[in-house]
This record gives sequence, structure tokens and C-alpha cells, in this order.
Amino acid sequence: MKWRHEHDAVDIVIVGAGAAGGVLAKELSEAGLSVVVLDAGPWRDPQKDFASDELSMRSLAWEDTRIVDGTEPFGMGSHHSGRGIGGGTQNFTGVFLRFHESDFKTKSIDGVGEDWPIHYKDLEPYYSRIEKEIAVSGPKHFPWGNFNGPYPYPERDPLSPNAYLFQKGCEALGIQSAVTPLAILSAPFEGRPPCTNRGFCIEGCMPNAKFSTLIVHIPKAVQAGAEILPNCMVTQIEVDTQGHVNGVLFVNQGTTYRQRAKTVILCAHVVETPRLLLHSATPQFPDGLANSSGWVGRSIMTHSSNDVYAKFEQEVRLYKGTPVLASTQDFYETDPHRGFARGYTIHSHGSRPIDMAQGISKASHEPVWGPQLRQIMLDYNYYGRLTMVGEVLPQWDNHISLSAEKDENGMPRASVTFNYGDNDLKLIDHAVENMKLILKAAGGEVAYVVSDTQHLMGGCRMGNNPATSVVNSYGQSHDIPNLFICDASLFVTSSGGNPTNTVMALAARTADYIIELASS
Amino acid sequence: MKNHTYYPTYNVMDEQKEWDSHTRSIVTSRLQREHSHRFLTPVEAETLRVWCALLMDDHRGDIIQAILTHIDQTLAENKGEGQRKVNVPPLQKLLRQGLKAIDEAGWIADSRPFFQLDEAAQKQIMRQISDASYPLTEAWEGIPQKALFHKLLQLSVEAYYSHPLVWSEIGFGGPAYPRGYVRADPGQLDPWEAVRKP
Repeated sequence: MKWRHEHDAVDIVIVGAGAAGGVLAKELSEAGLSVVVLDAGPWRDPQKDFASDELSMRSLAWEDTRIVDGTEPFGMGSHHSGRGIGGGTQNFTGVFLRFHESDFKTKSIDGVGEDWPIHYKDLEPYYSRIEKEIAVSGPKHFPWGNFNGPYPYPERDPLSPNAYLFQKGCEALGIQSAVTPLAILSAPFEGRPPCTNRGFCIEGCMPNAKFSTLIVHIPKAVQAGAEILPNCMVTQIEVDTQGHVNGVLFVNQGTTYRQRAKTVILCAHVVETPRLLLHSATPQFPDGLANSSGWVGRSIMTHSSNDVYAKFEQEVRLYKGTPVLASTQDFYETDPHRGFARGYTIHSHGSRPIDMAQGISKASHEPVWGPQLRQIMLDYNYYGRLTMVGEVLPQWDNHISLSAEKDENGMPRASVTFNYGDNDLKLIDHAVENMKLILKAAGGEVAYVVSDTQHLMGGCRMGNNPATSVVNSYGQSHDIPNLFICDASLFVTSSGGNPTNTVMALAARTADYIIELASS
Repeated sequence: MKNHTYYPTYNVMDEQKEWDSHTRSIVTSRLQREHSHRFLTPVEAETLRVWCALLMDDHRGDIIQAILTHIDQTLAENKGEGQRKVNVPPLQKLLRQGLKAIDEAGWIADSRPFFQLDEAAQKQIMRQISDASYPLTEAWEGIPQKALFHKLLQLSVEAYYSHPLVWSEIGFGGPAYPRGYVRADPGQLDPWEAVRKP
């Protein structure tokens, strides 16, 4: 292949064009830096390449095989990282929450997890900037956390039958609920239309009502001069004799190429970022790059995301509307009476048929199949569903490593080891109980609880101490100053809410820092 | 039909003119019967035909063939599996060797291929494999029974609930671009949605 910067050492090479990579590409190229973005997957056109179809759109996810281990290994694939320009912002639900202040100091406040090297106030201006930039829709008053609204765009209206039932259940129990802040337009913005309640957000938004870096940041980056190279899988970060990184090797259609760069930024997500660092080991860095602490790949976290289904006497029709439209964070902060630390968010959450059938098929200890599954699914339209986003505490033993098995590029497949801790399990029980109560209060008969996980975080955590963290608060490697990591792998703790807003705020903050470094 | 549908007259395909052309081509391709498998051997296909029909409790030939086509394509393309548990063999091996072991179970039970056993005997073997209690023979070497069962269930479910006939039966509104939904309160329906018949 030929590309514009084939023979240059560009200022910045970004690995991964997702939530973080998209923001960095835009900010850095608009600041006048030369930028090349490499992504393993394709560059799609939402109107031609997306479809209103669950099965075919699973291709938006990172489908490469990962080897999973642990007593209850979690599912990778369609629920986690994306693949292609836009990354996971193509197939996320658009839920756009801020962290609360307590999320950054769990060790100091609750004696669990670890403190971040930043405070909520450090991210606040970036949250505001990103939310404004993509016209997040949300309520005039959001009852929880440090930011109580109003959001740049009005809250979504109408909601969905499932969301209205959730609100009814909450109200009956005295639980506060709010329309969810969403990166989905409630009115026209920058030539994009408002949402039509089509419901296929996780399958990629065809009308472009849902934000993704594919349609927002990447086009702006291109306009500012960034070069975007799809279908290029980075397999190696290269290091010079001084111990600085000086570029990457990547594979396109079976051939390996080199992109030289003054600074390398990894935005390849929680599994691929550590995998690449570990695989790029050299005699000078025998345990992998940026890994003198031994923390690369360590303390990965997910969110517990158990679903509760209840059957109603009237039709609900989970397929209608944006999946998540109403939420509560009444159980977000630690309550010592509950017997565990930290908390969770509950969302009303729609579902298309495959998602529900696959969930139900594994809802009990024995697989559900045959007449039982068929009968449940014939009642598909009568089920309502809630889901939780539960904080999972970091544990050293939960980690990414290189397996013995190799992929088609000769790169060891990632191995993902994960187990819940006691606190995580107590938190899940509490949340499931509350979801059942809400559904009952809305008039439903609780039927199935499905264990699930969503979102990945951690693995290259930030910190002030180079002995116990991989990067500083700007994502800069403690060991290699011109190597940055900027994605959810920076997370020190997981919070009890969806992470995309925080990933993008961190990326915007890192962009400012790199621009400042470049100009000094 | 032994199973009850609330929407006996609803046909989601009646609405296909309202769908974008890319989605329409994906969905209509599921209605074409395809017989030429790229990966599956004839015996494997016959084993799967009865296995998947029992898994989904549905013996309609067109729908079960769509599941087989999906499984065959998945195996032939051999793309990533998303995740695979440690000690579980890659998909092609898991299914090829697993289907051989299932076929052998028929010969052990009644000197016939699995797909020719009577339904009660087939279900009995399936239940044993689902909880990993089927007696181990050499054919099961390296094939975890639960992992095999779950993978076949997962592949069958995703193909079955992608079939427009099944969508119609459960009253799923199907593809919704460009029109979307307007009526959102419980009990409200947009004009093209399935209406429950008394």
C-alpha cells in the first residue's frame, strides 16, 4: 500500500480510532501536528455499511479470538471493544455519564481500590467541552454527582414503553429516576438529524443521530490534515537505542509496513493496548514496553451488567426506542448499611430478539433450550428489562497476558483472566434485588436474571508512583516519555457508570498536554 | 403448530419496501434456501439438522436450513470467535470433532447415526452432553461437552432469531430505518407494528 506519510516520521501516530483516538486525532491535527491514525478495522459509511440487523452488525465488535480464563470468565466480543474507524463508539448505546467525585478517591474515602492521580475538578472542563461538542441530550436537572445539568440539548422525548415502566416502578418506590444523558441528538445539530427511536444503537446508528468519532471527530481530523489508515493492524512498537519509541509496524493485507513517528499514542483499548506493549518487548525492555512496574495488563476491570427480565400482562416491546432512556443513580455512592463498598447505576434497557434469547438461554445454571426457550421468546413482546452498571474493584490477579497461541500475524493471542471479588458479588446481589423490586412495582412478574458484563477498563493504570502505575495522569509512560497510552486502560477504578464520557475527557486532556509539550 | 403466537397474520416481510436496501438484502438472503455447504459434510449437516431443530423446538425446514447455512458460513469463514475459554479447541475443531462424537453416540445407543435415532433418544443424549454427563469415549478426547453444547446453542439462537419468519411470530418490528418509531407509550403502536389477535 501507498500512503501520504509513508516515508516521513510524523509528529504523532495514533493506534486505534475509537473514542479516545478520534478525539486525539482531531485535537492534535487541528493544533498543526502531523498525525497518522492506524486502525485494525474498516472505514464504514453508516448509510451504506450499517444495517438494522442484529446478527450482521456484530461485525462492528472486535471479533478476534481472545483466550479467556477464570472461574466465571466474561464474554468478550460484541459487548466490548469495537473494530474499525470509530471503534466502540460505533456500537455503544450512547449513554454519556460523568464520573462522580468519589470515583477518583475510593481508597481515601472507602478504603477500597486506589485513588486516581487526578480529581474530578481536573476533568470537569473536559467533560463540559466534550458534551457541548457533541450536543449531549439530557435533563435540565440531573439529580446525582457533581454536574446536575442542564445538558447542552434537551432530554429525549418521547422515551420507550420500557423506560416509562421503569419510571413508574421507581416512582412507586420513592427512587429518583431521570432521562438518561445520551450522546444521541434530541434535535438537529451540525447537519445531523434527531433520533427516530429506531432502536438499533448497538448495531450502529444509520441516521447519524448517535455520536461516534467515525462521523464527528475523524472527519474533522481529516479536514485538519490527519491521515487515517483503516485495515492496518499494528503488531509492534519500535524502540531506538536511546530507549525512545520511534514508530510502529503494522500489517495490511498480509504485508508489514512501518510508520515512523516522534510520539506514539496507544488507544487500542484494554485488551489490545497491553497486548501490544507486552509483545513489543526488547532486550532493553524485556518485560514489555512501559512495564518496569510490572503493572501492564494488571487490574483490568469490567462492569457487572446483570439484566433482570420481568413479564408484564400488557405488551412492552423491548425493540422500540433507544435501548437506554431512563436511569437511576440513587445507589451509586457507598452506603455502609449495605455491607459492601461503592455502587451502581440502573438503566431501563431495551433488547432485540437475539440479545434476549441468548441472555435467557444462559439465565440459569443449566442451559435453557427447546420448548422452554421457544415459549419464552413467543412472549418476547411482554417482557421488560433493566440492567445494572456495577462498579467492579481492581484486583491485581485480573489481567491481560500473552497466550501461547498465535494469530494470523504471528502475534500471540491475548489471554484475559478475570474473577469477581466478594465486594463485586455483594454489589451485584444488591442491584439485582433492587431491579426486581422496581420491575415488580411497575406491575411486572420477575422472570429471569442474566449474568453479564459490559465495558473494559484498567490494565495500564495512571498514577504518580512509577512503581505502582504505568503512566502519569496524562497517559505518558513513566518509562518512555514519548509513548502515551490513552484509552480506558488508564482507568484506576471502574466507577458505577458508563465510561465513554470519561475516556473522551481524558483524551481531550491528554491532547492539551501533548500540544503544550510540542509548543514548548 | 403446538406453540402459540399472538400475531398469526403478521409478516414482517410485508414491510420490506420501507427498509434501506442494504438491510433488505441481508434479511432477504436468509430466506433463500442454500444447500451447498462449504465446510459441513453431509453427515455433519444431517446431525446438525436434527440437533438444531430440537434446540429451537422447531422443525420447519427452511428455518433450520438457515441455521445450518449460518453455522456452515461461520465455520468456513473462520473469523475470530470473540473469546474462547482456555482448554477449549478452536471452533472448527470443536464442531468437527464434536459432531463426530455426537454421531458416534447414535451408533452406541442404537447402531444408527444420531440423526436417525428417535427423538426421545436424541434428547436424552443432548441433555447428557449439556451437563457434561455423557460417558466419555475416545471421540470426546479434548472436546468439552458443555462448551460444545453452548456453542451450538449460541450459533442456533443467533441464526434462529435472525429469521424473518420467527420475527413475525414473536411480533418483533424488524428493521426500522429510515422510518423509526413515533408512538412510544405502553400499548401504543405505530401502524406497521404487529397487532395481537384475540
